Amino acid sequence: MEQEFDFTYVLQFIPKILSTLGTTLTIVGGSLVLGLAAGLLAALPRLYKIPFLRRVSQVYVSFFRGTPILIQLFLLYYGLPELLKQADIDLSKTPVLVFVILTYGLHVSAYVSEMIRASVESVDRGQVEAAYSVGMNGVQAFTRIVLPQALAIAVPVFANLLLALLKDTSLAFTLGVMEMTGKASSLTTLTQHFVEAYLSLALIYLAVCLVLERLLRVLERRLLRHEARPVPAKSFESWRTKWLPFGLPQAFKLRSKGGDA
Amino acid sequence: MIRLQGIEKSFGRHPMLKGIDLEIGTGEVVVILGPSGSGKTTLLRCLNFLEKPNAGRIRVGDYEVDCRTAGKKEIQQLRLRTAMVFQQYNLFRHKTALENVMEGLLVVRKLPKREAREQSVQLLEKVGLGGKLDAYPSQLSGGQQQRVGIARALALNPEVILFDEPTSALDPELVGEVLSVIRKIAKEGITMIVVTHEMGFAQDVANHVVFMDEGKVVEEGHPNRLFSSPKEERTRQFLKRITPDGVYSI
Repeated sequence: MEQEFDFTYVLQFIPKILSTLGTTLTIVGGSLVLGLAAGLLAALPRLYKIPFLRRVSQVYVSFFRGTPILIQLFLLYYGLPELLKQADIDLSKTPVLVFVILTYGLHVSAYVSEMIRASVESVDRGQVEAAYSVGMNGVQAFTRIVLPQALAIAVPVFANLLLALLKDTSLAFTLGVMEMTGKASSLTTLTQHFVEAYLSLALIYLAVCLVLERLLRVLERRLLRHEARPVPAKSFESWRTKWLPFGLPQAFKLRSKGGDA
Repeated sequence: MIRLQGIEKSFGRHPMLKGIDLEIGTGEVVVILGPSGSGKTTLLRCLNFLEKPNAGRIRVGDYEVDCRTAGKKEIQQLRLRTAMVFQQYNLFRHKTALENVMEGLLVVRKLPKREAREQSVQLLEKVGLGGKLDAYPSQLSGGQQQRVGIARALALNPEVILFDEPTSALDPELVGEVLSVIRKIAKEGITMIVVTHEMGFAQDVANHVVFMDEGKVVEEGHPNRLFSSPKEERTRQFLKRITPDGVYSI
């Protein structure tokens, strides 16, 4: 039944799959907002070493980091309505997308909480002491001194997390959500051009990832501008002396000087 | 004037300060000496509550607190009257030299930006860094960073500046530039308490030396007197250990 490879299908499929990019990005965006909020909440008890809540947060993080996202999807999608039925809350009319965003949000929040904890803790204790010594209160010291530095440290970790999230959303199709992977798989059933469909899909994920990577790198540079500059791009001078054969450098030098005069 | 009465501090079960009494006059330059583990740095950090003393009273200028009952407000009041220069500089890493000095003026003193900037530029010029206003700490040498630290402390116009081993983390050739800045501001009559191992500095600049050991003040007095004829045996031993013979025969 399988058709021979035909590249024109790739060109055909890409726009079709792209039409569902919005759904994928909705899942990513929604779960990111939820994940950042829940992740911060989960990180606080551990940052401030609150006795009981700290334990709870640890268990929470372990669960969402220690079980496959696919199983979390199934557990929430099939389990949550059952659970809430006991409390007379009917979720049977809730759109699937809500469950999907909820699952990915909680999943991401576990990683976000670890990210926040690690980056805040990696800001030198002396920074806080200096802030106190100039008379700042706890809130000022955190928002003005610790947070900006922690953010800069967190960006590379956040980049990993975001790219992983984007790719993980491909599992949402198992619940019948028509995001990019769902769309691609329906195209294969329709046309039997498996390779073309999944190649198109791969290209789109790759492209989106590259764009996100770029954006985050710019952000990281901006946030880390206070750290010593990386070695400046090699000047022509050093390149010339290194790579041009002996004798030629002289000629170069002379000519460029002549040009200036 | 600064007065400490019965300051006690322990870490867990280990007593670090066992009742410190100290009186420091306005404009005095006090150097605290003592072997490591004697509680010098802890005492300094208790003064602005970076460590919370377990007992005692602290008076800075017209403000007095009971350490046992001090809450957030009292601690804040005390910190407004003190400033600290740290061993590791502790400049705000994400802020330029100028912003480091301005930060306290803007956030704590609530000065308008222009005024804060003017004052900060002046102070950075005073410590010889007028040309480094926009440099980040990572672009400055240790000596330069510490001078920014001193400017940051001066900006708050405190009753007393606490120096916690300000030259211990520096390369030997950078110690001089920092000490000379401290010397310069000492001459302006700012009260300072300096924990240091620089004996030469202690002798030149201090007008009050405190020798501590095992969480207690063993002996204090004018440097000439204390260095040439220490009363206590422990002081004598300490001085002998860290200074070559003959250096302090005045």
